[in-house]
Amino acid sequence: MVRKSRFRNFAIGSPMLWIAIFVVVPYIIVVLFSFLTRDPEGIVRWEFTLANYREIISPVFLRVCKNSFILALGTTAITLLTAYPFAYILTRIDENIRRFLLLLMIIPFWTSSLIRTYALIILLKANGILNTLLLSLGLIDEPLSILYTETAVFIGLVYTLLPFMILPLYASLQKLDRSFIEAARDLGATSRHVFFHIVLPLTLPGIIAGSTMVFLPALGLFYIPDLLGGARSMLIGNFIKNQFLTTGHWPLGSAACVILTLLMFMLLLWYFISTRKAHSGGMETVR
Amino acid sequence: MKRTLVLFVMLFLPLGAQASEEVYVFNWSQYIDPAVLELFEKETGIKVKYSTFESNEALFAKLKILKKDGYDVAFPSTYFVERMRRLGMLKPLDHNKLPNMKNLNPDLLNKPYDPDNAYSIPYMWGSSAIGVNAKAVDPASITSWNDLWNPAYKGKVLLMDDVRDVFAMSLRSLGYSGNDTNHEHLKEAYEKLLKLKPSVKVFNSDSPKQPFLNNEVVIGQIWGGEVYQANEENPNIMYIYPKEGATFWVDNMVIPASTRNIDYAHAFIDFMCRPDVAKMNCEYVGYATANVEAQKMLDEKTRNHKAVYPDKVDIDRGEFQADVGETIIIYEKYWEMLKTQ
Amino acid sequence: MKRIFQSAYLFFIYLFLYIPILILVVYSFNTSRFSTNWQGFTLNWYRVLFTDGPLMEAFANSLIIALSSSTIATVLGTLGAFAFYRYRFLGRQIMYSFVYILMMSPDIVMGISLLLFFITLGLSVGAVTLLLAHVTFCLPFVMVTVYARISGFDRNIIDVAKDLGASELQMFRHVMLPMLMPGIIAGWLLSFTLSLDDVIVSFFTTGPSFEILPLKIYSMVRLGIKPEINALSAVMFLVSLFTVTIAHFIIAKENR
Repeated sequence: MVRKSRFRNFAIGSPMLWIAIFVVVPYIIVVLFSFLTRDPEGIVRWEFTLANYREIISPVFLRVCKNSFILALGTTAITLLTAYPFAYILTRIDENIRRFLLLLMIIPFWTSSLIRTYALIILLKANGILNTLLLSLGLIDEPLSILYTETAVFIGLVYTLLPFMILPLYASLQKLDRSFIEAARDLGATSRHVFFHIVLPLTLPGIIAGSTMVFLPALGLFYIPDLLGGARSMLIGNFIKNQFLTTGHWPLGSAACVILTLLMFMLLLWYFISTRKAHSGGMETVR
Repeated sequence: MKRTLVLFVMLFLPLGAQASEEVYVFNWSQYIDPAVLELFEKETGIKVKYSTFESNEALFAKLKILKKDGYDVAFPSTYFVERMRRLGMLKPLDHNKLPNMKNLNPDLLNKPYDPDNAYSIPYMWGSSAIGVNAKAVDPASITSWNDLWNPAYKGKVLLMDDVRDVFAMSLRSLGYSGNDTNHEHLKEAYEKLLKLKPSVKVFNSDSPKQPFLNNEVVIGQIWGGEVYQANEENPNIMYIYPKEGATFWVDNMVIPASTRNIDYAHAFIDFMCRPDVAKMNCEYVGYATANVEAQKMLDEKTRNHKAVYPDKVDIDRGEFQADVGETIIIYEKYWEMLKTQ
Repeated sequence: MKRIFQSAYLFFIYLFLYIPILILVVYSFNTSRFSTNWQGFTLNWYRVLFTDGPLMEAFANSLIIALSSSTIATVLGTLGAFAFYRYRFLGRQIMYSFVYILMMSPDIVMGISLLLFFITLGLSVGAVTLLLAHVTFCLPFVMVTVYARISGFDRNIIDVAKDLGASELQMFRHVMLPMLMPGIIAGWLLSFTLSLDDVIVSFFTTGPSFEILPLKIYSMVRLGIKPEINALSAVMFLVSLFTVTIAHFIIAKENR
């Protein structure tokens, strides 16, 4: 049993108070707005309505959600597949160099993402560096069109969100006890077996953390997809921004935000239920 | 631990301290020559605090929420003046405190979005029309917005990433006003745009010159000022005023209701209307100045660049953007449909 | 063979991360004012950069906010992750779900709702409100990262420490903190990165007296990003690289 100590109260109190004041209260404002009526002469009128929700559930909005979810899921999958080996190899390196390499990984991200995205445009455009290089090497005859395609969007998103996958994976892989792996090998386990039955289950917290930290922000991102993809489709981020800024329809934008939250929770719930089954199965094999 | 605390206090103390002789300016980044700000500080002793916004919409939303301790001078474009004025977000101007108003271009004064300029003073202005890359498209063959629909340019067209700019173009091509609020007309414009959508390679209103310079598109909507800049490295990018008329915009100086010092605000606006100051700004920014006296002082090449200073006939054919009121919701609905097709 | 393969993989990832940065370092010497095409060599933008007082001030403000907000968020987030892991308390589940809501909230919604909230409280927007906002959006990233590290631990370690007579504070300080360090550092780095790059939330939560670098950069888009921003990015990149390298060699020497 945990004794009630002053430290306990502090450890619970300070972060929870912060969340309550700066997250819960503003979110309540958003939920409240979603039930109010738009006021053309001001912001909102204090008249309760469900009209915003009736309006938001439309084929257009569903298509917008679908676009965003596919993009976010794809980005999460690619970053996970790229970052996992990276983080794994990193933890195998001597500690001094490892720290240095870790910092080296994050430094590029201290440059404005807009500037970095512009640099990607210089790299990918029709008369850009990549095409010039490939043409002069004779690998292609005609410039590849990469910019303003889905490929460019994924390159940009993966580039921007990679550290959000690498760092939590690194933090959870780094504590992986090598004796487990060696014991399994001594018992004749194959590399594949060791990975799927020992390494993967033990690093699952890191994978979940990294995936949520890539997936959730990716849902709302639109600047990078617009710049690199040519803005021919609409994402949730654009949709909500337009309600708040272009039309000034804050209640509708708030309703979209609430629906997005609900969708996310349904997805997470489904995810946790399905992985809990898989996870418990995995752990049993280890033990 | 204590040392960290002291360090924190030291870091934040100077942020709390404020001199009283300050004017707070809210503008696009790089939209005033820094030397002008220095000159103002030297002449008046009032320090300029320059903050920036990245879109009219964001400026509007922020000023709407801020009730006090806000900005003294802001720079919204055309129809945002109308909307802000209507919603009581602006302070009326005292023309007696703005003697330099006499230098302004009469063509840009007393516009429908602000009759008698009771709330706003024009700063810079420009247009959006058709840009073409003369290497790929014969500029002489392009005379109308309808030329964007030519199947020859499939996959090579650029449209602005802005609901009002794109619909204004489509509405004009149908012979309607770019500020139309008739729902039937909007539907027609939408259906026409739907046919253009497969040809569009990119929607971009941040910097439409880039896809032109990068050879990604050969024809599309663009701002005159962007063509002027693009010509510094590629003279083949041409600017064509379509026969249906281009869309014009004006950036204006206004005093938000949340102003801290209305006298400093007037002093700043009047200073910006001085011909020598307007000339400095105009040369620095590269857009067309609303100040005729300053315009006369410019070198001939700039003064005669048609993308920046159009002929009178093109101005008369064109149209200034106006607020469409509640119809903006209909615009946005069609925009969402267009983008998700 | 395996080692070569591993080194090659690391090399390609670093190449991917550094190519855009190298491009902008090179372009910071480009003579053209507006272009993404190469026009010629100049040092002019570096001269312009160091005489641009407001830009340097905005840059300094950004650093102050990023350093302080990521530090505060790391302290709060580490405590929070520990509290979620160790204690059962009223509203624990609900609070944890708000961590996810926060991470997913579109910037525009967070910015506007925080601004409305600050105005309702009668706060005038500026450095303080900006700091509060930045701590807030950094918080979940620290919590999730530290929580991922903590949740794989053997709970017995805590029990052993308690059996040996450690108080909660002593146990946290001497047992948990050292073990959590990689997660804490990772969380701090993510927060610092996020704070340094935020535009929309900052736009709404800062006031006229406190301008930060990302706002300046984004509002340049309409008139063309000035090459001095490339120069600034290049300088900042080289300074970070230099600092990290020096620190690496000092630490490596001490360890020897």
